[in-house]
Amino acid sequence: MKLVAPTSAGKARRLLPTNPATRRAGLAALITIMALLSLPFIVRLDGSPHGNWQQFFGRFHPLVVHLPIGLILLVPLLEVLGRRRPALREAARFVLGLAFAACLAAVTLGYLLARGSGTSGATITLHLWGGTMLSICVLLSLLTRPAWTAGDAPRIYPALLACTVLALIWTAHQGGSLTYGNGYLTEFAPGPLRRLSATGVAQVPTRFQDSFYSMHIFPVLNANCVSCHGSHEVKGGLRLDSYELLMRGGSDGAVIIPGQPDRSILFARITLPTDDKHFMPSGGRPKLKPNEVTWIKAWIQQGASPSAVSLTGVSVASDSERPKELPLKPVGDYSAMMPEIRQMEQSQGAKLVPISSNPSDGLVLTTVDVAAKFGDAQLAQFQKFAPYIVEAELGRTAVTNASFDTLSKFTSLRALHLEGTAVTGDGLAKLAPLSQLTYLNLSGTNVTSAALAPLKAMKNLHHVYLFNTPAQPASASDAR
Amino acid sequence: MKQHPNCTDCEQGPDVMNMPVPTELKREWAAIETRRQFLGRSGKVLGWAGLASLLGETAFIGDARGADAKGQPAKQARDGFASPHFAPKAKRAIYLFMSGGPPQIDLLDYKPNLAALYDKDIPASVRGAQQLTGMTSGQARFPIAPSHWAFKQYGNTGTWVSDLLPYTGKMVDDLTIIKSTNTDAINHEPAIMLMNTGNMNAGKPCLGSWLSFGLGSMNDNLPTFMVLQTKVNPKENNQPVSSRLWGSGYLPSQYAGVGLRSSGEPVLYLTDPNGVDREVRRKMLDAVEQINQQTLAELGDPETNARIAQYEMAYRMQMSVPELVDLSKEPQSTWDLYGEDAKEPGSFAYNCLLARRMAERGVRFTQIYKRGWDVHDNVTVTLPTLCAETDRACYALVTDLKRRGLLDDTLVIWAGEFGRTVYSQGGLTPQNYGRDHHPRCFTTWMTGGGARPGVTYGETDEYSYNVVKDPVPVRDFNATVLRCLGFDHNKFTYKFQGLEQKLTGPAPASVVEGLLA
Repeated sequence: MKLVAPTSAGKARRLLPTNPATRRAGLAALITIMALLSLPFIVRLDGSPHGNWQQFFGRFHPLVVHLPIGLILLVPLLEVLGRRRPALREAARFVLGLAFAACLAAVTLGYLLARGSGTSGATITLHLWGGTMLSICVLLSLLTRPAWTAGDAPRIYPALLACTVLALIWTAHQGGSLTYGNGYLTEFAPGPLRRLSATGVAQVPTRFQDSFYSMHIFPVLNANCVSCHGSHEVKGGLRLDSYELLMRGGSDGAVIIPGQPDRSILFARITLPTDDKHFMPSGGRPKLKPNEVTWIKAWIQQGASPSAVSLTGVSVASDSERPKELPLKPVGDYSAMMPEIRQMEQSQGAKLVPISSNPSDGLVLTTVDVAAKFGDAQLAQFQKFAPYIVEAELGRTAVTNASFDTLSKFTSLRALHLEGTAVTGDGLAKLAPLSQLTYLNLSGTNVTSAALAPLKAMKNLHHVYLFNTPAQPASASDAR
Repeated sequence: MKQHPNCTDCEQGPDVMNMPVPTELKREWAAIETRRQFLGRSGKVLGWAGLASLLGETAFIGDARGADAKGQPAKQARDGFASPHFAPKAKRAIYLFMSGGPPQIDLLDYKPNLAALYDKDIPASVRGAQQLTGMTSGQARFPIAPSHWAFKQYGNTGTWVSDLLPYTGKMVDDLTIIKSTNTDAINHEPAIMLMNTGNMNAGKPCLGSWLSFGLGSMNDNLPTFMVLQTKVNPKENNQPVSSRLWGSGYLPSQYAGVGLRSSGEPVLYLTDPNGVDREVRRKMLDAVEQINQQTLAELGDPETNARIAQYEMAYRMQMSVPELVDLSKEPQSTWDLYGEDAKEPGSFAYNCLLARRMAERGVRFTQIYKRGWDVHDNVTVTLPTLCAETDRACYALVTDLKRRGLLDDTLVIWAGEFGRTVYSQGGLTPQNYGRDHHPRCFTTWMTGGGARPGVTYGETDEYSYNVVKDPVPVRDFNATVLRCLGFDHNKFTYKFQGLEQKLTGPAPASVVEGLLA
């Protein structure tokens, strides 16, 4: 037993370098580690760009960086497979040495890139330290490997190798976030996965609530610019994630000159031709939408105020102000019921028209051909297709208040036309289960404002038409 | 006479039905009887069986792609395209066609700086190498004619609108104004064909036919696609329009637009003559149908089907059209909105009112033609008349649709076939000027289902001559309209003459996202 399990003191003694060559190597490694650790303090990333040559070489970083990645991942593979084929294990040491050299090259180029382009920020700092620690891990692995092959320290080298791989994954992820922006990986991930990794890019400003800046300018900048000009990464010393930072500008000075869009660098850069090298958003990202550019121009023109609520000459009927459209909730596939549907159409004269060739978009019930004869009883006949009917055109039909009972079962309904019918609104409360309903047309009926009260609780119901009814609002527009 | 099944030099042609071939092939053979008839008529000298196989199955008859891969064109033609590619924003459209080419500079394309350039020549660099029409190419000078009318800002959007269009001004916040529409044609005929059918040559189906083919009917008693012509004002310069603009081209003819006349009876011979009651009419139609069914069985020509369908439609229209054009039940609020003009059949306002009534009755596509916009001279006299005839009615239609809850799923389009020049055709005086055809830019608008409200899209240069930002060529315009109605213009095709024919033609077209809600 004693022979196989040496005392810890004995292990330590054997680990300490005994011959001068190994001691020299250890010393050199120590110096390299110290140098790597002190480098971030010597070469500071101050957010301003330096020298073209630095950028020229620096831009090879994304290319070269894949070399150590490949080599490092190869090492554990070689070690494991090497148990069967010793030749592979022999190669592992060489590959590990090569990986370290590649690490040093990648770190050097990384420094040149960051310093040359004047990038700074949280993500880049993390990436920098990740790269440093990774290089150190590789170096330590290299140093402890001989002891492992000799069978002296069976745990240290594998542990270090595992650390190396973890550091590699983490550092590579930070690098990826720098290139493609935060959330690139999770943007299209399935819902639960995305929520797990959710980290907002920037918070909507609360101080200037409802101002044009918060409602229109900030969201545009947040969606298009903040991934490079935000807290994680600060290209050109410019941050756009708050009003103060936006107005402070970057290393080239102010980017917005109130009242003068043509002299504001920010506006100039987003309106350049897309193939211009100064065009923003850079890196092949899509250009801002025409209306967004118009907003930014008008906002700068009219003083770039953080609190102004509206601007003259600018459409405020923007997406964010209009009621948010519900994503269409798919209905089940009715294809199998087609023969039944055809039969119903023939017997009732009303039609069930597909919204589109995609069955999950649902059916429209149209009664225009038989409107006068289409009453409560006929509607009840269609109840069995209710899950597939997303729109019911019952305008000018003979349906009455009695139909609200039937309609309460049509839970897929998005639009309901009851214009010119005899309904008076008694029983509108029964529509409450129609959670998808966004449109209700009661024009030309005898509904009163009192009867409409229950509709107020239906949150998605944005369009209620009451033209030519006792409940008609005084204004011309009767949309809610 | 007993003949060899493979004999081609004989009266009846090969008897495929008795040949040992797969049933699939026999079915196809039955479907292509038209071809047999066609070649039979041309004297049977061509060795037609061989020719037919060389040309492929759809050599002589169209074929809707994707409807049925088993080669049953007659069935496809009858059933149409079935449904849109994706859930559309608009279920129907109303197209206000301003035939002749409205002058954008005097209406919606505001160019305040032109006033200072009155009677100066337009720089040659702006015109470039453009070939002008014969009407102005001989002019020694191209003097700039600023708009005679002042402009005002309207609505929350602050859109500049000419004093000629005070009603349009009231609805700018609902409109999607496109200042950068441009076309390839400089003369009426090719330009109006291009705008309507996507091709300068006659014979292609128009937008309305495509939509009627693709969307199908919602109302069996009215045509899916209706055309309303506005009564001609003889003081205006009226260019001819005719049924080629609402023809169905290679699509089966039941998808062609059905026109209502602007005066007299809306549809000729729609009322039964004296002594003929509805029952007699029904018997007559039944008899005619029997004969037509025989012809159909004999020839398999889809056009026979179209004819049967049209007779039936006409019979039903005998009931539905009188109801459609009976305005006696319209409330006073209608007349307050549209004005007294709307009571006169054939006026633009009357047609707009009919368009609203058709939208209510499930007509998918209504196109109203208003002629007279071809203002080569005398702009300051003619243009106010044209605007007075149309401005209020356009506003009334949009407002009426909106208050009745129809604008949510109705796309309204206002367009001509091209614009007009900034320089004066003929003499320029402080009181008057003329404007020639101008294809490089013109202003159009849309509103309603699918269009983004309160947007002015595209920009022209300071002379309203060239588009400087976001050009919208006709094919992109049409692709965008199709999108609003649920179609992908690249997939919405009909196989004819060996090509996947589509409204936007072979040149790549793209949907203009900036116009969409």
